[in-house]
Amino acid sequence: MKKSVLFFVFVVFAMVLASCGGAAPAGNTTSGDTTSGNTTSGDTTSGDTTSGDTASGEPEVCASDEFGCAVIPAGKTVKIGMGAPLTGDYASFGVDISQGAAIAVKDAGTVEGFAFELVAQDTQGAPEGGAAVANKLATDPTVVAIAGHIFSGSTEAAMPIYEKAGIPMMSPSATNPPLTTLGSKVFNRIAFTDAVQGQFAADYLYNKLGFRKIAVLHDGGAYGQGLADVVRQEFTALGGEVVGYEAVTPGETDYTATLSALAAKNPEAVYFGGYVAEGVVLTNNMKQSGLENAVFFGCDGTFGAEFVEKTGANGQGAYAASLIPPESEAKLKFDADYLAAYGVAAGTLSPYTWSGYDAAAVLMAKVKKVAVLGADGSLYIPRGVLVAAVRATNGFTSITGDVTCSEVGECNTAGPTFYVVDNGEWVQAEK
Amino acid sequence: MEALRKKIPLTLPQNTVKIIRIIAALLLLALVIVRAIDVAAESQFGADTWLRLSVSGLIIGGMYALIAIGYTLVYGILFMINFAHGEVMMIGTFGGYFVFEAFNAIQVTAADGSQMSFLNANPVIAVFLAFLAGMTIAALSGYFLEKIAYRPLRGAPRLVPLISAIGASIFLQNAGQLLFGPQRRQYINPVVLDRGIGWHVELAGSTVVLTYTGIFSLVLSAILMVGLYVLVQRTKLGRAMRAVAQDKKTAALMGINVDQIISRTFVISGALAGAAGVMWGIHNGLFNYFVGFLPGIKAFTAAVLGGIGNIPGAMLGGMFLGIVESLGPAVLGIDFQLKDVIAFSILILVLIFRPSGILGEALSEEKV
Repeated sequence: MKKSVLFFVFVVFAMVLASCGGAAPAGNTTSGDTTSGNTTSGDTTSGDTTSGDTASGEPEVCASDEFGCAVIPAGKTVKIGMGAPLTGDYASFGVDISQGAAIAVKDAGTVEGFAFELVAQDTQGAPEGGAAVANKLATDPTVVAIAGHIFSGSTEAAMPIYEKAGIPMMSPSATNPPLTTLGSKVFNRIAFTDAVQGQFAADYLYNKLGFRKIAVLHDGGAYGQGLADVVRQEFTALGGEVVGYEAVTPGETDYTATLSALAAKNPEAVYFGGYVAEGVVLTNNMKQSGLENAVFFGCDGTFGAEFVEKTGANGQGAYAASLIPPESEAKLKFDADYLAAYGVAAGTLSPYTWSGYDAAAVLMAKVKKVAVLGADGSLYIPRGVLVAAVRATNGFTSITGDVTCSEVGECNTAGPTFYVVDNGEWVQAEK
Repeated sequence: MEALRKKIPLTLPQNTVKIIRIIAALLLLALVIVRAIDVAAESQFGADTWLRLSVSGLIIGGMYALIAIGYTLVYGILFMINFAHGEVMMIGTFGGYFVFEAFNAIQVTAADGSQMSFLNANPVIAVFLAFLAGMTIAALSGYFLEKIAYRPLRGAPRLVPLISAIGASIFLQNAGQLLFGPQRRQYINPVVLDRGIGWHVELAGSTVVLTYTGIFSLVLSAILMVGLYVLVQRTKLGRAMRAVAQDKKTAALMGINVDQIISRTFVISGALAGAAGVMWGIHNGLFNYFVGFLPGIKAFTAAVLGGIGNIPGAMLGGMFLGIVESLGPAVLGIDFQLKDVIAFSILILVLIFRPSGILGEALSEEKV
């Protein structure tokens, strides 16, 4: 008897473990896998793209430039590269972002009579693919800048290759926080990281909504807990009090016990880092756990139609963040262009298409600034100057808002847009 | 030499083991009590919080108990764990869901002339039919589960039906995913039974909501449990079930159709799981094809805790597990995410100190 029951218990534990391994929620962040690896192997693709026939029309700046100049012969286009997953599981991200960037290229016009061209290459979202694409693009002398890459793993693998070639990057969507701590001169990103989102959320809770006592919950995942940790830290730093900090087990449908215990500490709001499934349950359970007066404040993981649909009346007044930029004239124009060009509304394939537009737009604006028309009719773009110019971006206004790069290449200062549920619809919250 | 070896016992005498066990148990108990008093001294929670936690524990405990009865009934008769029982509950949840959906789609004219869905016009009939549908379809799936997955293996070594049960569980889960999709669905309750509304109790300066859905589930599971107890103890079928549980061969000699009784046992446990499934849907709302897995595991734990094969034990075990999950972290002052740790720790401790479970009697050799 005893032995057999123990055996059953063992089987149960094995099943629980097996189920836990497989049930990781599908993330909506694009920070792919960060395996990086040694894929770059350092086969230099030679940065001396301007060498050879030492054209007579070469402007002086090229001689002094660390990486020399990119030379675009008359009649050719100035190429903006992009490494994106165009096939495979994550194709919708790559296709969407490259389509956004293509619209930017169309809008950018010409520089000294030279047209721009977007060269999007398929990385399949993998680090190996990222390195391969980087090698290919870096050997093309007319590629001057990279709007990408899309996933963090692929970006990390590509960074050293562009670093050697002196090609500046502006990623619309590589959100993995350590990327900007690697000391790269060429890497910049317009994507807002979880750290940025957490800071803005804490600030919004404290300054805008005026809360002083909040509870912070998360789902124990890298994304959710990372976000929750930042919010707790920043909110405390602002002078607020975090009265409760707990994890909930993902996949459950009843969190009333957890919430009842939190209710005893009277938080004014409950911040949750995680995904929509648990966010819905928490919002529904709050009403019956003594937290009916507290505000549910989610993140970009809880934003979306499903939240509104499944919370119904309980969702009224709940907040969430989104990287979809606020409505503006530039956004409306882009949305119309996107719909006309591709037949679907912007944002249906991924939430990053606007970032794709902006990344390409920033790069092309900088190219226009530094490009010099040579005496021989070719266009000369000093690579080192361009790298520095991109990093020095300051106050560039575009769809996602103000783009100003920090000294490590974090360029999104606009942060997320906050939304609030009103009568069963997400509406933009007051800035 | 031989004589010497005989004198020195190689294992500790039975009595010493018992004493060590009792001492260890008391030490553990003392530790828990000290910690609980320590936490209580901080008085982190008021009476309102304790009431909320207890009610939430009782509601979930009632559902665990209903499912646990299914495990225990089958174990009592076949000495096997029906690991597909959680999936039977899942099927019941879907059964009730589709009835609510259908009634929500039908428009009728109410007494005052306004248009409303049948669901809101006749909530009692709708809820009754939802339970009827959920319980019937779960009972049927229990019946066919036994016919297809277990009956051909009657008489095989004990491990074989167990593996078949795990296979059936995986099969049913995947079938549910293919049939109904992986997305989470939500029960549409009649307005009167909306989630989140309920009686308000003023306590310690705060309002505790006793939800209608929760109290309804609790009362219904109590009624079903009493009904089952009466069925097993007072009816002819119940007597036959007990006879088969005691000794299949003799029961057959007494004119009992053993196969039929086994089938009916599966039907009864399926119906109870189906009822738990519909309650789960009405009270918690969200579910998908995976809904049966966790309650299934918890209910199995509850059945072992109460003493597997013992019906009142399963009820007690379910309620106990629900309460411990809900109150345990608060009593010990730890994170609520650790509630499963507490539940499974208690299971392991019970298996060490009282292997037959709380109410389980020592089983005869034959049953082992």
